[in-house]
Amino acid sequence: MIDDDRLRQLLRSALPPPTDEGPSGDLWPRVVGRIETRSAWSWLDMSLAAMVALVLLMFPEGLFLLAYHL
Amino acid sequence: MPDEIDGELLRRFVQGDQDAFEVLFRQFEAEVRRWVLRIVRDPSAADDVLVEAFWRAYRGRARYDSSRSFGAWMRRIATNAARDHLKAARRHARSSTADERIAAPEGPDRGLRAHVARAFRTLSPKLQVVATLALIEERPYAEIADALELPVGTVKSRVFRATRALRTELARLGIRP
Repeated sequence: MIDDDRLRQLLRSALPPPTDEGPSGDLWPRVVGRIETRSAWSWLDMSLAAMVALVLLMFPEGLFLLAYHL
Repeated sequence: MPDEIDGELLRRFVQGDQDAFEVLFRQFEAEVRRWVLRIVRDPSAADDVLVEAFWRAYRGRARYDSSRSFGAWMRRIATNAARDHLKAARRHARSSTADERIAAPEGPDRGLRAHVARAFRTLSPKLQVVATLALIEERPYAEIADALELPVGTVKSRVFRATRALRTELARLGIRP
């Protein structure tokens, strides 16, 4: 049976702190890129919007229902 | 974490002001990255997780309670992102046909360390996170509990389960040092 101290010692030696020289560069542009990518409309978003617009054209009274739920 | 932040800055962040968010990013980037690196133990992965964590923070900014510590909130998000990274890495390792042997550090016990590292990777990501922070990094249970949004008792229980699983796996590998 491995005791707790020996197990910790083994883990620390098997998984030592990685050598780190800091970030690979300025990461802020990557964060911004991520925000902008995700905020763009996907095909699914556009399809849903088109379907809602079509339904509203066919049934204008549905606008009140939609407004209520929004 | 440095957490003396202007309330106005936080208010602007919550409203979606990217300039305010950049100020927060610059202020917390190093601390968050250090924390993430403790969990994922790979500088390149730490960069990816950091970007993911700050993106999640921006996406979830409406849920931020400005009366509470931004640093602690950011650390929770980063911990979740790091755990998700470990999950993805585990899925990748399972599906990959490439040689997945883990490179152990050089030294006289290299074989033993490779076995220990391999046994560690068999833990579930949630156990890996607590085991890394508690057993390797020796962070206080209260700090781990806060980062994982769990009661301290749950953290202790996970550490116990991780320790038991590691002992079992090492015994299975024939390691009884």
